[in-house]
Amino acid sequence: MSRSRTRITSVMTGLTLLMIILFMADLFLGSTRMDFAEVLRSLFGHGDPGDEIIIMQFRLPKAITAVIAGVGMSVSGLLMQTLFRNPLAGPDVLGVSSGAGLGVALTLLTLTPLFTLPEGSLFSGWGLILAAWAGAAAVMLIIMTVSARMRDIMTVLIVGLLLASAISAVVSLLQYFSNEAMLRTYVIWTMGNLGNISYPQIRALALATAAGLMISFLMVKPLNAMLMGETFSRTVGVRMDRTRIVLLAAASILAGSVTAFCGPLAFIGVAVPHMARLLFGTTDHRTLMPGVALCGAATLLLSDIVSGLPGGGQIIPVNTVTSLIGIPVVLWIILGKTGLGRRF
Amino acid sequence: MGTGMIIAETNRLSVGYRNRNRVFRVMEGLTLSARRGELVALIGRNGAGKSTLLRTLVGLQPPLGGSIALDGHALGEIGLSQLPKLVSFASTEPFTLHNIRVRDVVSLGRFPYTNWIGTLTDADEEAVAIALEATGLSGLENRSIDSISDGERQRTLIARSLAQDTGLLVMDEPTAFLDLPSRYGIVSLLRRLTREKGKCVIYSTHDLDTAINEADRIWLMTGDGVSEGAPEDMMLTGEFARAFESPLLSFSITDGAFSFVRSRQTGIALEGRGRVAKMTVRALSRCGYTIDSRAQPKVTITENSGSAEWVVTGSGEDKRYTSLYDLVTHLPQADQ
Repeated sequence: MSRSRTRITSVMTGLTLLMIILFMADLFLGSTRMDFAEVLRSLFGHGDPGDEIIIMQFRLPKAITAVIAGVGMSVSGLLMQTLFRNPLAGPDVLGVSSGAGLGVALTLLTLTPLFTLPEGSLFSGWGLILAAWAGAAAVMLIIMTVSARMRDIMTVLIVGLLLASAISAVVSLLQYFSNEAMLRTYVIWTMGNLGNISYPQIRALALATAAGLMISFLMVKPLNAMLMGETFSRTVGVRMDRTRIVLLAAASILAGSVTAFCGPLAFIGVAVPHMARLLFGTTDHRTLMPGVALCGAATLLLSDIVSGLPGGGQIIPVNTVTSLIGIPVVLWIILGKTGLGRRF
Repeated sequence: MGTGMIIAETNRLSVGYRNRNRVFRVMEGLTLSARRGELVALIGRNGAGKSTLLRTLVGLQPPLGGSIALDGHALGEIGLSQLPKLVSFASTEPFTLHNIRVRDVVSLGRFPYTNWIGTLTDADEEAVAIALEATGLSGLENRSIDSISDGERQRTLIARSLAQDTGLLVMDEPTAFLDLPSRYGIVSLLRRLTREKGKCVIYSTHDLDTAINEADRIWLMTGDGVSEGAPEDMMLTGEFARAFESPLLSFSITDGAFSFVRSRQTGIALEGRGRVAKMTVRALSRCGYTIDSRAQPKVTITENSGSAEWVVTGSGEDKRYTSLYDLVTHLPQADQ
């Protein structure tokens, strides 16, 4: 008991430190060389004006976005895995990211050319976020309906896969009818991008993510009961229909908001909850919720650092990096000694 | 025993499922009761509706008619926060999660009592410790659920129900998938909980043997309803026999057990006493023989310092065998 509590405290402290170090490293590393003192001076507004612009306008928003997006995607994945009692559930695997993407595509590819909207109304955040939420929630509803009928893990995953394909077909159709500039915006969006986000957009993202996290944290007790299955949860007094809707909303808000601004960040949502379970050695959501959040932030900061490694302004799409980190974890879940669906 | 307060009572209850426009009645007119300090075994054939009845009893699905009272209150009038303090339920839902500790599973039984985030108070910790102790899981509490045996996993679920601190514990097939010693272990544990903790335990089972030996009351599901009584009542009235008998099985009142029906019986005479004779009768009847002192051939048992010998006379040459296996394989098969 106390041994596991000590372990949780030390892992939590370690992860927090790691996240801070990675955050600083993310500010420090980049195509323009800067020493550590210069980074600190720029952060507090006493640096060289040029460096200050790089830090305050480019690197800081990118690092903040990495933290928020990492937290949002991972916690969303955790909620989905418990909600569907499925170790391979996650925003991208179940097609929820695609749903959010469809919302974004509809906004970027159809609405924008139709109405000449004043700069800052749609892209500043809430329009895009709402579209992504709607898309994410629509897919979540479909998946939930299917999983209520089919308890089988594989069936639900296959339906998610089919939904994602169907949506990408619709998006292709939209692309066909849209102009080149819009297409370019959209394609860059699909690669996943943590930069290019303005402070007002970050504010919108942060607010939405905070709301999603708050709802999630209020649900830790029913989430723990749900580990034992629906029948048990109901007999100890969990109102399952209400709980499911709240969790669905929280997961959609988190995954939808992040996807709206950063693109479909692959595999973070599936992989990070498993890393946290392994690190903390528990399935208790009271520990996992903050643990997954820290792991997610650290993972995405690391991905962002790796994506900038080529240097000289060259960038590997962050989506590529998260896939390279996430896919081994997912493979390990599938091929692990206890097999698919056993390690949860 | 049997004088405790009635904790669960049904009156002309109908159970089943309601679809959008159709009603599937599985059973109707069920008037049953169970008291504190009683072990109640619900017995019935596959598909008879045991789970449906149990799920209705704990409020997981609404009754189609009639009424249920728990602890003297109508089930429909018990609040959602109050019900989990009156009755707990353990179903056969398989575990889908695997690296959870025994202790964490049992702690989830405290769900109805803990605060919004599920913090265990000293009282909760104590209830968990008592539940672990009573189910013989002390020492295993930090083990992961997939590193313990099936029987221990079942005990963990019983401990979880116990930690929920309800007067009534309902369990759907707690002995399914267990080997014989574990089955006896679980049922005797359930019986001990009724005696030592004054709980009422209602459990469904296919395992007639353990139910007849340990249960205070049987709820027996037949094609036309559920009858209740002590196991011995059921034997006397022949209800067991009616519920389970088929062309292949017959129920013996004296043994309290079922045996296969042999289509043709051939007489054979037997001389001998004690355990050896009893086993010889068993072996012979399995092969279609009935004991008849006037019949031929005749088997005579001679016992000599712990080892037995069987001599067959009256069918040609006398033959001598040193095991029952040899004896029955050399006799002409009567049931063919």
